[in-house]
Amino acid sequence: MLAGKGFQKVYNLSGGIKAWGKEVARGPEDVGLHLFAEAASGEEAVIIGFGLEMGLRDFYLTMQRRVVREATKSLFGKLADIEIRHQEQLVQLYEELTGRRLSVTDFAAKIAEPAMEGGLTTEEYLQLYKTDLDSESEVLSLALAIEAQALDLYLRAAEKSTDAGSEQVLRRIAAEERSHIAMLSNYIEHQQDLA
Amino acid sequence: MKWMQFFTPVASINWEEANQLVADHPAGDVLFLDVRQPKEYAAGHLPGAKLLPLGDLDSRLGELAQEKPIVIY
Repeated sequence: MLAGKGFQKVYNLSGGIKAWGKEVARGPEDVGLHLFAEAASGEEAVIIGFGLEMGLRDFYLTMQRRVVREATKSLFGKLADIEIRHQEQLVQLYEELTGRRLSVTDFAAKIAEPAMEGGLTTEEYLQLYKTDLDSESEVLSLALAIEAQALDLYLRAAEKSTDAGSEQVLRRIAAEERSHIAMLSNYIEHQQDLA
Repeated sequence: MKWMQFFTPVASINWEEANQLVADHPAGDVLFLDVRQPKEYAAGHLPGAKLLPLGDLDSRLGELAQEKPIVIY
């Protein structure tokens, strides 16, 4: 249908989503986009992205406290650390955009936290996924699912964005999320190789 | 009658080729279009994919950029 109506580069994906073989995002098309409804500028997109990363880190740290196995605790610690690096990158991006230099702690306390309201708490989020927190493979699958959700949210927000600066920032964060997913996927493959 | 639309061939690519297509274009250029039903989309979709059910495609073509690559599943 598209190819006959002026669309020049249209491709059918053989095998469809079933052939994808990697983590998928779940939920309707507009889920989470309200978070970015106010992101009229790149600066605001950074602040909201930082808030989401704070949520992810809190999520991983909460699970780290709840699980029993040391290996699983260690894994959650690593995932939480990755989010710190992501937060640092966002603060760097904020400085590039605004010229304002802040530490991650100051950025969180003075800028990101006041801007974030609503959304799910970590406990509410956990209730959505009935995961065996002591099963490392389930934990990794959950982490992948969450990262895929974050990637999906950033990409859809970028697509809907009407501000070029905001769109650019959202795509940059999305690229970072993609690298996190690659890192997690490699880790899972490595675990399977060891098994 | 615009018969061409019924016969225009569309290339099929696999996931590996789709990933290469993304890598060969600037960020955000390649659109993954999910033409399934909203419930199927909600149950699992490619991160960042745009939902446009097949039944609505004809009336919502204006939402798509003609010059950019579109990968449909």
